[in-house]
Amino acid sequence: MKRKTVFWAVLFALLAALGAGAYLLRGGGTRAAIYVDGALYDTVDLDAVAVPYERVVETEWGSNTLWVSHGAIQVTDADCPNHDCVRQGAITDGLVPIVCLPHRLVIQIVE
Amino acid sequence: MSKTQKIVFMALLAAIELTIWVIEGQIPAPIPVPGVKLGLASVVTLTAMVLLGRREAGCVLLVRILLSALFAGSFSAILFSLAGGVLSWAVMAALIGRFEEKLLWVVSVFGAIGHNAGQLLAAMAVTRSAALVWYGPALLASAIVTGAFTGLGAMYLVRALGRYRTKRSDSK
Repeated sequence: MKRKTVFWAVLFALLAALGAGAYLLRGGGTRAAIYVDGALYDTVDLDAVAVPYERVVETEWGSNTLWVSHGAIQVTDADCPNHDCVRQGAITDGLVPIVCLPHRLVIQIVE
Repeated sequence: MSKTQKIVFMALLAAIELTIWVIEGQIPAPIPVPGVKLGLASVVTLTAMVLLGRREAGCVLLVRILLSALFAGSFSAILFSLAGGVLSWAVMAALIGRFEEKLLWVVSVFGAIGHNAGQLLAAMAVTRSAALVWYGPALLASAIVTGAFTGLGAMYLVRALGRYRTKRSDSK
């Protein structure tokens, strides 16, 4: 019994460390790709942004207001019910894309 | 336990699970990765599975998911709840007889992995974006940690509610 507990604990600890490690070590560039419903909608070169500006992405599923700045992009407003994408804040690397599920919008920083 | 008592007990479990789910939803996530949450509600599902059986746990879970869509106020949420819940239930139902009860937390971890895999697949299907697969390792890590915690919670709850058990222990 004891041996099995230790076995599973060690196995899961290793898997968790591996997963977290793979996730954190994944780097990225500074171009933001905006996908709507799986199709590439637009790309923005974040390195070239000197003056931050606001941009509205309006699709048939809804509207998201983006704040584009040097090396970073974030959603500042959306007319969706949960506002998960707004709460996520700015992204600066390819680790985590911003996902607005109700509007089928994905913003990811790519090389 | 009579049939009526069992139905009442199941209804209570569903209400408790729904309450936990609603309250947990009000707590901001400590890690800024969408989809990462503790999933305390699964404590009740797993406990129901041990005490009453797989089918009864499935009923409790389905009732909770349908009602939670009302509380969340958006219908698309039900798709993700279902994808995660059904896969998690299937994984746990398949494994629960294969582990002794002291290893219930292992079943819970596999269930949590199933839950996150289901939600990830649903999210990929909805956004039609394969890029989401990069959430995979993070969701796996979070499922292991949260699954272990909720599994331990279920083990304590099973011990405390032992006298409501209607199902023979099917662990070896």
